[in-house]
Amino acid sequence: MNASSNTMATDDQSGSNDLADRVEGGLRQLISHAVPSAEQIAVTRLSRAAGGLSRENWTVDVSWVGSTGRQQYRLMLMRDAAGTLLNTERSREYDVLKALEKSQVVAPQVFWMDPQGSFLGAPSLVMERMPGECDYMVLNGERPLKNRLQLARDFLRLLVDIQSVNWRVTGLDVSLGLPEKSPSAIQLDHWVAEYDSVRLEPHPELDYVLQWLARRAPDAETIVLVHGDFKPGNALVEGNRITAMLDWETAHLGDPLEDLGWITNPVRGREHQIEGHWEREQIVATYRELTGRSVSDADLTWWNVFSCWKLAIIQLTAISEFVAGRYDRVFQTPTWLYRPMFRMMESVQ
Amino acid sequence: MRPTAEEQLEGTCRILETVVSPQVIEPFARTILANLIANLRMVTAALPMISSFLRDDNDATCAQLLAMREVLPRELTERIDHAVAAGKPDNCDGIALEERNRSLRELLAAAINSGHLTRDMLGSVEKHMVERASRNPMRYVPTVATTHNQSERS
Repeated sequence: MNASSNTMATDDQSGSNDLADRVEGGLRQLISHAVPSAEQIAVTRLSRAAGGLSRENWTVDVSWVGSTGRQQYRLMLMRDAAGTLLNTERSREYDVLKALEKSQVVAPQVFWMDPQGSFLGAPSLVMERMPGECDYMVLNGERPLKNRLQLARDFLRLLVDIQSVNWRVTGLDVSLGLPEKSPSAIQLDHWVAEYDSVRLEPHPELDYVLQWLARRAPDAETIVLVHGDFKPGNALVEGNRITAMLDWETAHLGDPLEDLGWITNPVRGREHQIEGHWEREQIVATYRELTGRSVSDADLTWWNVFSCWKLAIIQLTAISEFVAGRYDRVFQTPTWLYRPMFRMMESVQ
Repeated sequence: MRPTAEEQLEGTCRILETVVSPQVIEPFARTILANLIANLRMVTAALPMISSFLRDDNDATCAQLLAMREVLPRELTERIDHAVAAGKPDNCDGIALEERNRSLRELLAAAINSGHLTRDMLGSVEKHMVERASRNPMRYVPTVATTHNQSERS
């Protein structure tokens, strides 16, 4: 929804209580705008959470009396932070979440969007607050191996479900845009532009990897919905069940190997793999079985390297934002990614 | 010169942890503060090594550039010659060491992007870059918890 009135300034420099008051007021107005019949709007238990590298996360309970009686919801409000790691559009996430409501992919129901920040002072999205816990290391946590392996398979099944979303029927080809050339080339172009805009000093190591990526960008076997940051750290798990996949802000239509390339990546393997039981070989074999797709090892390695390179650029963005005074965490040049990238490149020379 | 720079930074970390941190209640602010303290400790440990790291890296980068000089376009070799001829800055001049490092690495990036390097040269550059990464005293210190509910995620 596009708001006509600008009800809140974009300045976040005032105290946190002021900010909470502004968010509460903005949310009330957003509800009034989205649900014109709403009366007795109550906004309670508003709290800014600890997380949120690229945006502020607020938990809040809301209720109102409308034409269909009393409504009550436990919600999450995601509001763009002043300094952000990812330049994304709220509308992208809104459209994807709306499309997923018609699919078997577990994801939160989306309620409202404030794309220009007309109510909330910064682009924002309001969605259902789901049960479960997000644990980056859930595949290597305290659960018995049998349960962790089942979760690992369920994560892969979820990835296949995401790739099975019919983007034509759900209209995602219109809202996300259909790739006009090879998805690998599109992704590379996108992140090269980001690299060019955020680097503060020369990075011959990243240039070296970029040369390799540019020479070998593969073609896609088919076009699917790509999450863009598929990992346990972006999912909620309750007991041994995945209750929701979150963070769809970088979703796009692209190559099925893109998300697969992230989870088979040796870097941060402890997030995605279980040593000796659920590694690249098992993941790819199961993926082939579930999808019937052939997976070129060289192409998958390209996506492995690309995902590391992209992660490096995201960290350079964080450094740039920190130096500009817009981001409150300190990152360093991601030198730890260089050797793994070089090794993967060598493996397909 | 007491307290030394390291002693002052270490003391600052201690005070932030023992005096300031217990008074910070908001979860978001606590996370930010933990990240800042961890990073300050890393910088404290790295500080005495930065000058020698830059000095050694400048020497190693110069050696790489001179070794690949023969295959590079003339415009680039002239820039390399100019940079090498400029001489080494004083080891105590941190800003000059940093600036020389930036300019030499810019030339190295240009050489890589030229597409003229031989396979052996690329192998040597790769080895140089891995060694540099392993010696870099500045390292990211992860402090974000690995377990969150929906609201606490990044």
